[in-house]
Amino acid sequence: MLMPTRRLRTLAFGLILVAPTLGPATSGLTRACAASASGAPHAALVVDTGSQTLSYCVELDGESVSGIHLIQLAGAQFGLQYRLGFGGAAVCQLEDVGVDGSDCFGAYPDFWGYWHGNGSGGWSWAGSGAASASIGDGGMDAWTWGQGDSGATHPAPPALAFDDVCDISSPPPTPGPGGGSGSGGSNPPGGGGNTGPGGGGGAPGAINASTGTTGSTGNAAAEGTPQGSQTGSPRSDRSGGPDRDRDVDPLSPSPTASDDSVAALAAGVADDPDGGPPWAVMFALIAIAAFGAGGWFMRRRSDGIKGG
Amino acid sequence: VHPAAWLVWATCAGLVTFTTTNPLYLATIVAVAWFVYASKRIPGETARSFRVFAIAGLLTMAVRTALVFFGTVDAGSVAFAALEGARLATLLIVFGTFNAVTDPFGVVRLAPRRFHEPALAAALALSIAPRTVAMVGQVREAQRVRGLNRSGWRSLASLAMPVLENGMEHALTLAESMDARGHGRGARTRYRPARWTVGAATTAISATIAAGVFLIAAWTGSGDLHPSTFPLEVPQVSPLLIGAIGLLAVPGSISRPRAGAAT
Repeated sequence: MLMPTRRLRTLAFGLILVAPTLGPATSGLTRACAASASGAPHAALVVDTGSQTLSYCVELDGESVSGIHLIQLAGAQFGLQYRLGFGGAAVCQLEDVGVDGSDCFGAYPDFWGYWHGNGSGGWSWAGSGAASASIGDGGMDAWTWGQGDSGATHPAPPALAFDDVCDISSPPPTPGPGGGSGSGGSNPPGGGGNTGPGGGGGAPGAINASTGTTGSTGNAAAEGTPQGSQTGSPRSDRSGGPDRDRDVDPLSPSPTASDDSVAALAAGVADDPDGGPPWAVMFALIAIAAFGAGGWFMRRRSDGIKGG
Repeated sequence: VHPAAWLVWATCAGLVTFTTTNPLYLATIVAVAWFVYASKRIPGETARSFRVFAIAGLLTMAVRTALVFFGTVDAGSVAFAALEGARLATLLIVFGTFNAVTDPFGVVRLAPRRFHEPALAAALALSIAPRTVAMVGQVREAQRVRGLNRSGWRSLASLAMPVLENGMEHALTLAESMDARGHGRGARTRYRPARWTVGAATTAISATIAAGVFLIAAWTGSGDLHPSTFPLEVPQVSPLLIGAIGLLAVPGSISRPRAGAAT
C-alpha cells in the first residue's frame, strides 16, 4: 500500500512539472490562430429589416465563429444593435426591429429568418440554428425580418456577393441617404440602383432575378416599400470609412492592446493564415493510422493469448 | 485498472468529444477508443458492446445527415449535419468502450454508502445495453444448439421473448441477492476491494489533462475545434490537441496484468 502511494506522488509531481508547459503552449496556439495577423479572417453579415439593408464586413476573432457570435462581433465593431433570447441562442431584435422581450417569436408570424450565402449572391435558408452554425473566413450570413417559415416564402436577402461587402479594392460606396434611421426613402424606387456604386451589385431588378425562387416575394417586398435603393448600401452609413480601415488595419477595435503585441510575436511562429501548420493534418492522419494498427495488433495478441 | 479510473477516462473522453466537430479530432478519438478497447476489453459477452455502439453510432450519424434532406440541401448544411452526427457517434463509441472495458457493478461499489441506491440505479441503467447484447448472444446460441437457425426479421420475434424473460429473471435474482447480502441495512464488507494503482492514477490524470487542454482550447476558441462549414473548408488541426487525444490512449498501453496479479 505504501509503495503505490509513493510512486503515485512522484507521478503527480512529475505531472505538476509538466502542466505549466502545457498551459503556455495552448495559449500560444490561441494567439497564433486568433492573430494570423495580416490576413485576419472576415465574414460578411447582412441585416435586412424590411425597410433597410445593412451589411458589415466583420473581423472574426477565431478561425470560425457561430452565427450568434458574428452578430456580437458586428455589435462590438460597428455598433449593430441586437437583442438575443432563449438563453442567447436566438435573435430577437436587430437594429431595433423585432421583439423587445426574450421570446423571440413573440411577433410571429414575423421573425428574423437566418440565411447562409454562397459568396456570390446566392442565399440558402439555414438548416440549423445560428448558435451552432460555424462561419469562417469568406462566409456570409444574412438575417431578414418577415413572414414565412421556409426559404421559399421568407423574404430573401439582397443578392450581395462577398466582395460587395468585404472588398478593399473597389472604391468606397457613396454614403446612403438618411443614415441608420432613414430607410433610403428619399431615393425613388428603382432609381437607387442606378445611382448605387459598382460594388453594390446592379439594379434591384437584377437582385431579385438572381435570388431565383424567392424572386416574387422579393419583388413584392422591394416594391412595397421604397427600398429599391437597397444597393445604395446603407452599410456606408456606419461602416463606409472605418470598414475599409478595418480591412487593412490589424489594430482594430475590440482586441486589447496586449493581444496585438502577442499577435506580433505569434505571427513569427505561425506564418500560415489558416491556423495549424500544414503538417499537423499529416500528423493527425498518422496518429489515427497508428492507433488503428495498434488496436489490430492488441486484438491479435490477446486472441493469441486466449487461444494458447 | 480501477473502475473509478475508467469512469474518469470515459468522462474526460466524452468531454473532449463534446467540445469539437472537427472530423480529424473525432477520428483520432475513435482510433484511440478502438485501441483502448482492443487492449483492455474484458473477455466475454460484454466486449461486444463496442461493436454494438459503433453500429449505433453510424446509424445515428446517417439519420442526422438524412434529416438535412428535409430542409435546405447544400454542401455546407450536409457537412454540418454529418459532423454533428459524427460527434454523437464518437460519444457512443466512447461509451461503448467504457462498457467493454469495465464492470458497471464495480463502479457502484465506489459510491459512498449514502448514495449507494442512486449509484446502483445508475449502474443498472448503464449496464442494460451490454447485458441485453450479452443475452441476445446467449439466446441465439441456445437456439442454434437446438437446431433453430433463423435469420433476418423472422428471428426477431423468437428472440424478443426469451430476452425479455431473462431480463426479468436477472432483475429478480439481483434484487434477491442484494437483499440476502443485507443491502440497505448499513453494515457491508468489501470483498477484494479494487486497488488504486499507478496505472489507474496515470489513466485518470492523463485523461484529465486531455480534457483540460480541450476545454482551454474551446474556451479560447483555438485549434479549429469547429471547422467552418460556411464556407466549407478543409479542417485544420493543432498537433498539441492531437497529442492531448493521444493521452487518452494511456490505459491501452499499460501492460496487461498477469493472471493473479492485482490490477
